[in-house]
Parts: sequence; C-alpha cells; structure tokens
Amino acid sequence: METGIRSAAFQTFIEATSGIMNSELQAWKDGGGKVMGFFCTTVPEELFTAAGLAGFRMRGTGSTSTELSDACFSAINCSYPRHTMNQALEGHYDFLDGLVCINSCDHVRRVYDNWIRKLGTPFVKVMSLPRKVGQPQIDWYFDEINKLRKDIEAHFSVEITDESLRQAIRLHNEIRALQKQVYQFRLPDAPLMTGEETLAVMVAGTAIPKPRYKVLLEEFLKDMQSHKETHKGHRARVMIIGGELDDTEFIRVIEEQGALVVTDSTCYGSRLMWRPVDESYDDPVKAMANYYIYDRPSCPRMYGDQPRRIAYTRELAKEFRVDGVIGERLMFCDQWLVEHYMTNDDLKEDGIPFLAIDREYLLSGKGQLRTRVQAFLETIEGLRSEQS
Amino acid sequence: MTIDMKAMKLKGVERYKQERDWFQMGLNACRFMPGEEFKLQAQLLEILLDSKQVVVDCVENDQPFIGGYFCNAPELFHAMNLPWFMLMETPFLAATAPYLLADIEGSEEMGLGTDLCTAIRLPIYYIEKGLMPIPTCVLGLLYPCDGAPMLHQVIEHNKAWKDVPIYCADPPYTSDERAIEYFAEELKRMTEFLEQHTGRTLDLERLKTVCEESNRTYTIWQDYNELRRHVPSPHGWEIGGAQAFAISQCFVAGDPKCTAWFEQLYRVGQMRIERGAGASEAEGWREKIRLFWFDIMPYGWIFEFMPWLESTFGAVIVMDMFGNFPYTLIDTTSEETIFHDLAKRNLIDSPMIRQARGTAENFSNDIRRIVEDYKIDVVIWPGHMGHKDGAATIGIMRDTCREIGVPFLHIGLDLFDKRYTSIDEVKEKVTDFFKGMGLA
Repeated sequence: METGIRSAAFQTFIEATSGIMNSELQAWKDGGGKVMGFFCTTVPEELFTAAGLAGFRMRGTGSTSTELSDACFSAINCSYPRHTMNQALEGHYDFLDGLVCINSCDHVRRVYDNWIRKLGTPFVKVMSLPRKVGQPQIDWYFDEINKLRKDIEAHFSVEITDESLRQAIRLHNEIRALQKQVYQFRLPDAPLMTGEETLAVMVAGTAIPKPRYKVLLEEFLKDMQSHKETHKGHRARVMIIGGELDDTEFIRVIEEQGALVVTDSTCYGSRLMWRPVDESYDDPVKAMANYYIYDRPSCPRMYGDQPRRIAYTRELAKEFRVDGVIGERLMFCDQWLVEHYMTNDDLKEDGIPFLAIDREYLLSGKGQLRTRVQAFLETIEGLRSEQS
Repeated sequence: MTIDMKAMKLKGVERYKQERDWFQMGLNACRFMPGEEFKLQAQLLEILLDSKQVVVDCVENDQPFIGGYFCNAPELFHAMNLPWFMLMETPFLAATAPYLLADIEGSEEMGLGTDLCTAIRLPIYYIEKGLMPIPTCVLGLLYPCDGAPMLHQVIEHNKAWKDVPIYCADPPYTSDERAIEYFAEELKRMTEFLEQHTGRTLDLERLKTVCEESNRTYTIWQDYNELRRHVPSPHGWEIGGAQAFAISQCFVAGDPKCTAWFEQLYRVGQMRIERGAGASEAEGWREKIRLFWFDIMPYGWIFEFMPWLESTFGAVIVMDMFGNFPYTLIDTTSEETIFHDLAKRNLIDSPMIRQARGTAENFSNDIRRIVEDYKIDVVIWPGHMGHKDGAATIGIMRDTCREIGVPFLHIGLDLFDKRYTSIDEVKEKVTDFFKGMGLA
C-alpha cells in the first residue's frame, strides 16, 4: 500500500490486513494464547475476549485458487467462503483453537457443515441467528450467547463471569470509539486519510488480539496528530455500502480514478463500530443480545430493517457530505443484490447517484471496474455542473 | 405522487385471471384424456381453479384474503376461512405459461440480475410491475433461503403495497425442542396478526377439525408413499409428488376435498400395482432406473425433459424432494399441542425448509433414507441456480452417495428458465452419466 502516513502502528495494521497470520497474532500464540476464528459481524466477539481468547474474523486473504474447496462448493457459490475454506484446507488456519460459524447467509453457513467434515479444529460451533429484530429474537439470541458461553467454558476450562464480560464490552466499546475517531479524519474537505488506509485500520482490528489492537490504535491516533498530509483534488466524495469487503486494493482502484471513499456501511467498516454496546444493562449478555440483534446497524439478512438501514446510509451520506454511493456485492449474494436494488430507488429520491458493482472476492476485472467508476464520476460531475 | 389503489388492485388481478384461464385450458384438455391419472390431474386443476377464483372474487368484492408463502401452517388460515394465494405461485404453477420467459427478461432489465433465484426474481418483478393481486395482508417466511426475506422486504418497500400489513415467521436455524417452541410462538403471533388485520377469528374447535382432516390427508399420503416403494413404481414424475405437496400445503390444507383427492390417488396407485403395471403402463417402455430427484421439478421445461428421461432410459422419478417426508400428525388435544405440532411439521418436516434451513444433516439423512426405502439406483441433484445452500452442500451429498454406493449426478440448471442450461445440454449430461455408470 502506498501511504504517506508515518506510523509504526499503521505499518502493523497493513501487515495484519495483507495476510492471515500476522506478527501480533503470532506473538499471542507464542505466548500461549488461544485463537477463536469466527464468521460474520453478528457473532458476539466480546465473549471470546472475556474468555481470554483472541477473536479472528475469517478471511480468504492470500488465496490464489479454490482448487481444494471446489469439492465442497459449486460454481454458483460466493467466492468468499470458497477462498476462505480453501485457505483452511491448505492449512493456513491450523493455528485456530476454535471456530464459531453462524447462519449469516446461504453460502457462509455451509462452511460449518463442510468444516466439521473436513478439518480437525477441536472446537467448532454454529450459532442460530434470527432473521428479525424484535424482542422474541433478542430473547432467542440471548439464549444462544449463553449456550455458546457455556460451551466455551467447558471446552477451554475457563470461567466467563459477568464481570469479565462487562470488562470485555468496555474494551470493545473503547475500540469502537477510537475507530470512530479514525473516521473523523475523513470529514474535512481535504481528509487526512483515504478509504484504502481506513480499511486497513479496520481489518487489522479483526486480526490482532483486542488489548494489543487498542494500544496500537491509540499510538496510531497519536501519530496522526502530527500527520499534515491531506488528500485534495479528488473528483468526488464517495460512500461504499455492501458486505464482506476486506480487500484494500478494491478501494485503491476506486480511489485511483479520482474518487475519495470518505465513509461506508460495510462488514469491515462503520457497521462494526458506529454504535456501542449499551453498558447500562445489569446482565451483560442481555446487552450483547440487544446490540447484535437490534442496536447495531444491520445488514440485509435482517428482515424488516431496511427502513433503518437506508436511514443509516442517509445519515452517513449527509454527515460525510458524499456525492455518490457505490454499492458493492459479491457475486451470487441474493441479499445485497436486492438491497442495492431498493437502495438505488431510495437514493434516487434524494438525488444521490448510486452505482452497483458486482465483484469476486479476489479482485479481478480491474479494467471494467475502472471504466465503471470513471463513468460514475462523470455522472456525478455532470450533475454537479447542472446544479451550479 | 398519489397512487390510485383501486386501479392498482384491479390491475394486479389481471395477470392472475390470465393464469386462471391458462389452467382452465389445461383442465379442458385433461378432461378429454383417458386414464385414472388424468382424472386425478383434472380434480387437482378443479381445486386449483376454485382457489384462484376465490381470490379473484375477494379482490372484486373487497373481501379479505392473504398473500402467503409455503410452510406457514396453512391449516391456521384455512380454519379462519381466509382464502390465500402463494406469492411464488407463477413460477411453480404456471412456469410453462407463454409469458414466463418474457417476464424473466423483464426482471433482468429491472436490475435484478441473473443469479438471483428465478422463483424469487419473478414475484419481485410481478409486485414491482403491479402484476400480482394486492392482498389484505401478507404472511411471509424467512427461510429456506436468503431470497425469501429479500422478497418480503421488497413487498414492504413497494409503494403500492406499503399499506399492506405483513408478518413474517422466523424459523430458527436449529431443530430441537427449543426451536419448535420458538416457532410455535411465531405461529401464534402470526394468528394474532391475522385476527387483527382481517377481522376473522380463530375458533379452536374449527382448528381441531381442520387439523384432524389434515392428519387424515397426511396419513393417506404416507400410505401412498409406501406404494411407490413397489418395483416397478406405480407412478413417476407426473403424479404423486409435487401435486401432493401443492394440494395439501397450498390449495386446501385440512379440507375434505384434499383428503378425497389423496384417497383417489391411493386407489389409483394400488390398482396399478394389482395389475402389475408401472409408471410406463400406457407408453410401452419399462422401468430400468429408479431415480431420486432431490429438488423441485423443472417446471419451466418439465414436458420437454421428463418424458424423454422415461422413454429413453426407462428412468422413473420414484421420489422427489416434495414427495415423502415423515410428517408429524397434529395432536389436537389442546391449543398448545396443535401449535407445537404445526410448528414441528412446518419447521422440520416440510420439504426445502427441512433441508435448506439448518445444518446439512437432512441432506445426507434424506438421501440415505430414500435410497434405502425406495431402492433408488441414482440420486440426481439438479443444482437449481437459486439453491445456493444446496450448492454448498454438494460435496456432502456426493460423499454420502459414495458411502452408500449410489451414483450421484449434479447438473447445474434453472428449474424455470430453460435458457440457463439448455435442455439439450441437460440431456447430454444425463446421457453421458448413465452411460458412464453402465446404466444405459
């Protein structure tokens, strides 16, 4: 990544983002620490922190083929689980002490079924995540979290007390608040950070043990106080919305065309941290259940929540003064396809241009992506000159 | 912009009437065909046409009716005397209608892409284009696939439908007692919703009667499925699987008309066995390969493929995904037992929800059970482009078949759109496979 940011912490973030194992996680393992892999932002990672485990969000970074996982999946499956499973079958995830899957989508949920049949990870569980955001669903997820809590306690011989959970929630909330500060760098007309750089900070937060990540994030924010180089001359301020986007290069290609990605609503972006877990609950598990089902910005798999999702998009678009929105989706994702279809309709009413881009997990078709982004930027500029 | 809802409602029923007339044509043709099976088809079409006419009457006379999904415990709304139509009715029932391919193209042009399940894309297209009857309220279900909640969210998003109340039951991912109880509560909330928005009430005694009738239906269905274990199977693809599901789950759940149809189905099957006849009785070929078609039937091109399969290879669809599952009979002792068992039946027993919702055990367990019970020679997973969770279970299904020594074929197609994989290509794959396995 080409960057003007002079910060050792930021270099660590880049390293953590560009592969699966990273030096911080390796140090954790070398010190006897255990690692719990997990899929999807709806898995309550605070539980792992409270158990003394390092959570690791599953990615397929570094994969070059799906040769091994093709025996499990078909050509109409999303390339994200296919590459991630391939990495696992090649042994890149042998460092995991456990894995928590979830029924987030039709593709990712089947990783659990294939994983338990093909790999020897000692602790593998699947959580049942409701598809609605009401009180019965919060209650259901409350039980699911408690069930997982007991399973972790039994398998890892640890006690997860309410107090340790409260501490974990506090730590994760502090990280969320720090990440939100990073996003503030993008508010000015000439932001301090690009979208590509911001994504690296965010992805690293899912791969580095949380206590250490917090320290690094604080160092990074301190370093940024002396960072004066801003980004000017871009053709448009753009927001990205979509799902599993962990590839900084995808953002780079967009930004190389003259767009500046100033905010987002993605699974590695603002949805992870825009709102904190409510710490006023007596029962920390209730707080987590409420957060993961209702409080945090949802993704399209949560039925009935589209009005709040588009309101969230509008809120960020306004705050970050975006000129246009790019909706990215991984091929074969039904959820984001239809969500983008509705978002396009809604943003039209606001006069905000919208571009839907289908992509594969491994960046391909860069030429086509460039052309589409360029055309989109021309549309935005055309509208701007019409308005002026 | 204001919407003329009266005009929208009348427009929405136009296509529905067209579809009704399409089936009327089919019924007229069936009546002229010889044989007991055609009489059964005719009875089915009569029931279907009745249910369509009731919906048309409701629209025209401003009476309450429901737009629903499958596996939503239809006994409940039948007991409340609420007519309903299935939101996905066109791709399932009228997939051979002449307008279907143009509609698929229309949905693509609208921005719904080509990889979203056609059975989800089409209803979205109909809703967005005002080609579906606007009901009093909608009942949805949030599984078996990612497409289902998206279809329901489009309904909520659509301006003409925005005042139509909608309730979507949420089947959990697990299948234990806790899951059944949760889903039973979802069905209770669904009933309260129906009472609130339709003015109809649920009478417990009436519900008991409906469920007892439904139990009779399912008991006969199970008996009929025993007949299909016979070699040769009395019936193939034309009757007994998908139709049985449609009539019991979609048209007249818990209705004596439904039971009567199953009684006749059983009688006809039994008569065939008694005279030593198989599915091929009238067509001059004999059963050589017993198939398990592990999915929905290819409704968009069924007549161009299934007869070919039989006449070319003597390959009979002895069982399909909608054909035989161990349906729970409803214990009608109390309201609690009824809701509990309706929840279990619709969460765990019913096809597609059974396999596609939840972990993959039912894919492999159903293959094992059906291969053994029905003396299956070949398992075909058609690989419909919309069934993405199934596509991600392909290795598990293949391994299961390997373990039990049964050949397994995965094709990769669209059950409704014959352009996705051409029929010639499908035939070629099947031919190569049968030859490769020494079956042809």
